[in-house]
Amino acid sequence: MPTVRGEEAALVQLLSVGDRAAFEQVYNRHNTTLVRVATGIVKNCATAEEVVQETWIAVLKYISGFEGRSSLASWIFTILINKARSRAKREGRIVSFDGAGEDDNLAAAFDGRGRWKNMPELWETLTPERILAGRSVMEHVNAAIDALPPGQRSVIILRAQQGLDAEEVCAILGISEGNMRVLLHRARLGVRAALDGLM
Amino acid sequence: MLSCKEVATRASALIDGELGMWDSFQMRLHLAMCKGCERFIGQMRTTRDLTETLFTSDAPGEADDDRISAILSQLHQGKQEGG
Repeated sequence: MPTVRGEEAALVQLLSVGDRAAFEQVYNRHNTTLVRVATGIVKNCATAEEVVQETWIAVLKYISGFEGRSSLASWIFTILINKARSRAKREGRIVSFDGAGEDDNLAAAFDGRGRWKNMPELWETLTPERILAGRSVMEHVNAAIDALPPGQRSVIILRAQQGLDAEEVCAILGISEGNMRVLLHRARLGVRAALDGLM
Repeated sequence: MLSCKEVATRASALIDGELGMWDSFQMRLHLAMCKGCERFIGQMRTTRDLTETLFTSDAPGEADDDRISAILSQLHQGKQEGG
């Protein structure tokens, strides 16, 4: 039975000889996520699509130089992040993923002794299919993620990707593991707060 | 004993199984006695699960022949221009 690395090596080999089916496989696996991550950095859907297209062209152009020191997914997302940050910089914005200056918007929920001012709600009835304020819960989750700062948004999306471990996510974004955990926690708090406001 | 605020700060680490034995014990001790924190941890678990469900439903994406063709065509064009 082929190993994951073995399967990936075979896929890389096919990509390097311009195999369309292999490209379709990689494209279909990652394109939606690439657009999500890029949109959070460049702040514009059309520009994000362009950045993702440039990323795919770079992937195919330089695939023969891919040495397998990281996973293929990690390599593709690293190219995307570099391109998206460069594009944002050209537009006069420096995008940082360290989360400096952001808080977890939860401080006001506690009294001076660190106890809840108001008891959190029980979310037993919150299912993905439920409609709240005219939209499904999943649409609200999507919108809440879109509203997160770039670092939190990138971490929550990348950490959910199969084939990317925590170490790879840190390497892609150039942040420490501790920083990544803080960003993931803040991202979840942001989504939780959005849902809590609807309940 | 941990305060509710401290429990909330460690919520993701708890649900992701990243706490050491002592920290995990302290959290569970607090949760056994605090309904508010128990509910909050439940909310955070739901949030994590909904987020993962959202991204799982992303993949694999729809086949997009036009875009794939455009990328391949642009790549070949670049190669020809580059010699």
